Amino acid sequence: MGLVMAAISVSHLSKNYQTFQKDPGLVGSIKSLFSRKYETVKAVSDISFKINEGELVGFIGPNGAGKTTTLKCLSGLLYPTKGELSVLGFSPFKREKEFLKQISLVMGQKNQLWWDLPAVDTFLLNKEIYEVSDSDYKVTIDELSKLLDISEFIKIPVRKLSLGQRMKVELIAALIHRPKVLFLDEPTIGLDVVMQKNLREFIKEYNSRYKATIILTSHYMGDVEALCKRIIIIDHGKILFDGLLSDLVKKHAPYKLIKIIFKDFPNPQKLEGLGTVKHFEYPNLTLSVSAEKSNDSASFLLKNFSIEDIVIEDPQVEDVIRDVFTK
Amino acid sequence: MKKYYQIMKNTWDEMVTYRLNFSMWRFRNVLQLLTMYFLWYSVIPSNKSIFGYSHSLILTYILGTSILSSVVLSSRSYDIGDVINKGELSNFLLKPINFFYYLFAKDIGDKAMNIVFSFGELFLLFILLRPPFLIQTNPFYLVAFLIAICIAVILFFFFNLLLGFIGFWSPETWAPRFIFTILISFFAGGLFPLDILPAPIFALFKVIPLTYLLYFPLKIYLGQVQFVEIITGLIISTLWIFGMYKIIEAVWLKGLKVYTAQGM
Repeated sequence: MGLVMAAISVSHLSKNYQTFQKDPGLVGSIKSLFSRKYETVKAVSDISFKINEGELVGFIGPNGAGKTTTLKCLSGLLYPTKGELSVLGFSPFKREKEFLKQISLVMGQKNQLWWDLPAVDTFLLNKEIYEVSDSDYKVTIDELSKLLDISEFIKIPVRKLSLGQRMKVELIAALIHRPKVLFLDEPTIGLDVVMQKNLREFIKEYNSRYKATIILTSHYMGDVEALCKRIIIIDHGKILFDGLLSDLVKKHAPYKLIKIIFKDFPNPQKLEGLGTVKHFEYPNLTLSVSAEKSNDSASFLLKNFSIEDIVIEDPQVEDVIRDVFTK
Repeated sequence: MKKYYQIMKNTWDEMVTYRLNFSMWRFRNVLQLLTMYFLWYSVIPSNKSIFGYSHSLILTYILGTSILSSVVLSSRSYDIGDVINKGELSNFLLKPINFFYYLFAKDIGDKAMNIVFSFGELFLLFILLRPPFLIQTNPFYLVAFLIAICIAVILFFFFNLLLGFIGFWSPETWAPRFIFTILISFFAGGLFPLDILPAPIFALFKVIPLTYLLYFPLKIYLGQVQFVEIITGLIISTLWIFGMYKIIEAVWLKGLKVYTAQGM
């Protein structure tokens, strides 16, 4: 390994929010004018992790798990209730100029572009804000627009762009200063499959070309599987797993799935003891068997049944993660 | 500096995007001006004076507040409350840019556009109505007038910020803003010259900052204020600038700590 600088280090981070509840309807609204019940919501409680320079880490968890809150703390938007944060050696909430010039946060559901103006106007403004030289700007824009193929709609007012087009120009606007640390919150939300794939490839390319450290949150396991070696699973503000994606599968799902298509209806008694039946609807059967016995089971099946097709698969990461959450 | 110029340019582009909206809004300004103008035109007969104001003086005052409003009271930052509430503030907090300077640059862009148009409109008005208008030539008054305008611009900007910062604590930022707008139209002297009020009330007005938005600069232009009064006025309003700056700084820092970047 050698000495690798941790680009991001988080120790014992907690963040609480104050919220109040309101009963529905006008009566509830009037009541809430006079007395309000405040509640403290622990969005993140006591989490710690380190991320090295150039790593691309997936941040996974259900809605409200605390992913976005953590990203907001890391990018200096939120004041942490407790804990120490360091990003590139800076303390994020101080929002020093040198820090801000090296990071970027992209939110899939929000936009930073000037709504009524073409994207290129926001690009130019960001160029000035981040003090990017004319030559660097030209190189970056040329490269990024080639990767994402945006040249045809760069001069159309943003409000007239489609969701996919807008996400592309949003990303470019966030990358004009070539941030060393990039926080991506649901970058592929609402995009079609082709566009999702495009964006994934782009993120991968950006990571390897500029050696950027990236944290990515996503609901789509496809994003995470395609991009991240390491994942951090978080739920109810706590870290449930931090490690390699392959280890997660080994550790939490030491089984494989055998998918069979029968030629003839099988004798159910013969199937007993082979493994757990996950799904059976003739002619399809899905069996879950322990990883080391998967080959034996498969050959047993082939010998004793009349089989059209058989495949051995790793369990879906999505299923594994669901297992982790329900434990 | 270049970034702030770019912000102003974008603001102009944004303003002219909705052409109909923009021209209707200018039309509204002209209507408002004409209403006030003809009201006072008929209240004071051309050879008499009321409350120490002659016909031409009051008409200069009314036309003057109109121009001055477009300089002082025009703003693009009236929606800071919403920007905070909807979490759009995050866009600025994430960038190496001073949010206050950003807003001020937008405001200046807006004011520049407004000045150009109101001068155009007034020019037409002068050709059509040929109103009696006092042209101030005394350099002292002119310099003091310019300084007072700068102070007024900053004061109004600060009021705007403070009203917007309510957004950190409450989603209801428009009601206070409406009340403020009404207060301004009265206390700043946009409807009538404040010195026609009873002396004790007027004395009270001199201490509050709203007076310095329109009334004070305009009175200097008209040359109706004594040297000492100008100096005290400038000092009081400058003190207000410092005081308000301190308040804004404190409120901003407190607000950021409770800011939740909602919806972002």
